[in-house]
Amino acid sequence: MTNSLNDMRHAKSLIFIGSNAPEAHPVSMQHILHAKEKNNAPIIVVDPRRTKLAAKASDYVRIRPGTDAAFMMGLVHVIIKNGWEDKEFIRTRVAGFEEMAKVAETYTPEEVENITGIPVEQTLRVAKTLAKNRPTSLTWCMGGTQHSIGSSITRSFCILQLVLGNMGKSGGGTNIFRGHDNVQGSTDMCILSHSLPAYYGLSDGAWKHWCRVWGVEYEWMVGRFKEKKWMNKKGFTLSRWYEGVLQTEKIHQYTPIKAMIQWGCGSNSNSQYARVKQAYDKLDLLVVVDPFPTMTAAACESDNIYLLPSSSQYETSGSVTSTSRQIQWRQKVVDPIHNCKDDYQIMELLVKKLGFADEFYKNIKQVPEDITLELGRGSLTIGYNGQTPERIKKHMENWHTFDIDDLQAKGGPCDGEYYGLPWPCWTEDHPGTPILYDVSKPVAKGGLPFRNRFGVEKTYDASGRSEDLLAAEGVYNPGSEVEGGYPEFKDVVPGTNWKTDLSQKTIKEAIAKGMAPFGNARARCVVWNFPDQVPIHREPLHSPRPDLIAKYPTYKDQQDHFRVDTRFESEQDPELVKEFPFVLTTGRMVEHMGAGAETRSNQYLAELQPEMYAEVNPRLANDLGVRDGEMIWISSPEGSKIKVKAFLTERVDTKTIFLPYHFAGILQGKSYVENYPEGTAPFVSGESGNTVTNYGYDIITQIQATKDGLCKVAKA
Amino acid sequence: MARSKIKQNSGVGMATSRRVTLNPKVARRSFLKLSVATAALTGVAMTTKMTTKVQAAGKKVPYAGSKIVRTICTYCAVGCGVEAEVHNGVWVRQEIASDHPVSNGAHCCKGAGAIDMVTSPKRLKNPMKKVGGKWTNISWDQAIKEIGDKLLSIRENDGPDALHFNGSAKVSTEMAYQHRKFAAFWGTNNVDHQARI
Repeated sequence: MTNSLNDMRHAKSLIFIGSNAPEAHPVSMQHILHAKEKNNAPIIVVDPRRTKLAAKASDYVRIRPGTDAAFMMGLVHVIIKNGWEDKEFIRTRVAGFEEMAKVAETYTPEEVENITGIPVEQTLRVAKTLAKNRPTSLTWCMGGTQHSIGSSITRSFCILQLVLGNMGKSGGGTNIFRGHDNVQGSTDMCILSHSLPAYYGLSDGAWKHWCRVWGVEYEWMVGRFKEKKWMNKKGFTLSRWYEGVLQTEKIHQYTPIKAMIQWGCGSNSNSQYARVKQAYDKLDLLVVVDPFPTMTAAACESDNIYLLPSSSQYETSGSVTSTSRQIQWRQKVVDPIHNCKDDYQIMELLVKKLGFADEFYKNIKQVPEDITLELGRGSLTIGYNGQTPERIKKHMENWHTFDIDDLQAKGGPCDGEYYGLPWPCWTEDHPGTPILYDVSKPVAKGGLPFRNRFGVEKTYDASGRSEDLLAAEGVYNPGSEVEGGYPEFKDVVPGTNWKTDLSQKTIKEAIAKGMAPFGNARARCVVWNFPDQVPIHREPLHSPRPDLIAKYPTYKDQQDHFRVDTRFESEQDPELVKEFPFVLTTGRMVEHMGAGAETRSNQYLAELQPEMYAEVNPRLANDLGVRDGEMIWISSPEGSKIKVKAFLTERVDTKTIFLPYHFAGILQGKSYVENYPEGTAPFVSGESGNTVTNYGYDIITQIQATKDGLCKVAKA
Repeated sequence: MARSKIKQNSGVGMATSRRVTLNPKVARRSFLKLSVATAALTGVAMTTKMTTKVQAAGKKVPYAGSKIVRTICTYCAVGCGVEAEVHNGVWVRQEIASDHPVSNGAHCCKGAGAIDMVTSPKRLKNPMKKVGGKWTNISWDQAIKEIGDKLLSIRENDGPDALHFNGSAKVSTEMAYQHRKFAAFWGTNNVDHQARI
């Protein structure tokens, strides 16, 4: 989130796309409804499904899954056509506007209706609502990302906010609601196959930086790898790791995957779950570290599997980063129960056994505080260095001193600081950055310009036009020595820049000059390192509109896409819809979380929501001869199927089937409940929605496309 | 689903549950009380009868010598405060965090049952391995030795990239950092977690 949940109280309008906050982020609703009640802010909800959030909307926009980019570009089209864009903001802080606007020209409201199913009048009405009620807070979740063009869709959201001038403002922003409790923290630490912590990437410079932080020789680290080239090559992802085991698709590494450690990760959130299960059976070693056995314990039917009982997070301590970038200290409530150990203890046992404990724990004596300090020393890119354990704990003790409207402490021991020291928190005196890219405050007081990351000038491929990528004269944070754009800071300590200077002198010098360590630049509408430099619509891989495939085809197939070949073009079959006529989409329910291992083992929640189901429109059900509560088979083009109860509701339209994805224990009609260790099977089980989610992955991130697949339905 | 059915299903584990909560019914009452406060938010329908039951439970008195631990809910990324009442090392009740600047005293139905993360009878209790298709309890020493030996042998024969490490968005930032660091020190970029999907 560029802003915070609390800051949404100041929005004058709100638009949610692929986000269902009352189910996925219930407590955020008090801030959202505050804006609705107090500011009379219209709420626009864009979703294929009439969700609980849609019930609170002033305008509900039903959209065909996977067509969000077309709708966004359509809104941009209407806004520009009416002259409603924020011309001064664009002139001074945005790059590539003209090239983007050229693309938006083709997304007329009529064409948007053809692609998305949204009526022309509604596109016009939404554009006007946003233009007349600024700032707008824009939110998306997995409904925006889990598509083969997810990276274009999310960029189109950002472009809408840039065009409206809603960035860096209280009440505005791109406010992505993150899912798991610490997914922001774990993303920042980059448990990701394409980067070292804090988004440093996998370049030699990144490895050398982190080796310095860890206190190990770079050459020693190179020696840990098969060969140096494997250090710089992106690894297999969670979406497709099992292809490394199954090898039915071509893989690009010297060995198949033979061992898997799965630590705090419910496996049935993977699409094509039947294939995941096959991979489990084939592995030489499978280690599950979790407070609960998870579906993995039941799905894996060979003797290769170990379960290590980790304690819950209430039986250990450490920091967690909320969706609002706030860092909170989760204090230990009780000691680990049963024969469980906490995560740190288990990691230490493994690392000692594997023989690199001296190097691994060089800076770590006191756990977890010394780890907080080590990760902070290295994570300068995102300013995790100012949030010491002492400061975070002080915030926990002084909750009552923080103002609910702006999250700033008014008096008391944390006076002037923002709750949770939202990153970047550049120094140990910095108050945290409550709103990213806000030039109305000094950098030392939580302000920031846009980051300079992609050079200082660009000549665009599409237009041949050259543009200065730094912010225009007159755009700067109060107190800045330079009263306009400037590049990132480097060579304050020779040979280093603001990201790699571990003495942090560079960062301190920038702040002392009233400037941002990362420079003051423009936000890009054109991303020249992506296949689509400006977001455009491309039909989902499995499209229900074969007539649109020729005009909006998907990408070329990708070789060695995170070490495995990934099909795009060759997978997009216009005939597929004939056999699989319905769009399949998934989502959450409030009573359950993720893969559901925790919540289905919680007696209260299991009672509240005990059963898997599929949402089917009554008209469709009547045509299929299915009555409410009857069992149906849902089959995917990949050949897997699930048997679930039909829940007749007009939340979905006649072309769409919705599945919650929290259930597990039953796979393709067969119960695996007996396979759990005795007494540990969750209170409730059911088919996993992800057994029938389709093949399909984002071109950039390889996120699985679970929101716009196809399926067929038959009475069971 | 009827409550009695759940109790039947959980029969095996209830003894364990009692060991960690002094009285599971207390937790249940506390849950109901919280649920009333948050019913409007979560859409959980509460009947009049249930509300009366809560009022009958009356004002609760802290356990003698208990302490309140402030912590953060482990479900979603809103980051709600939780106040845990701990008595003799046992988490006995939870309360809303009315001072918390984000949750502001609210909970959803998941957060209101946070205590069950510790009291659930469905938790794993010992390290286990599968032998001849049967789950078998083993010691931590045996588990780490066998897993470690197998990993080292795979590393020797197939190379470090024969391992895939799926880490977690449900651990602390310190632990998440160690997940990534572990993969680096092991010698692979085959490391990923739920943020990918």
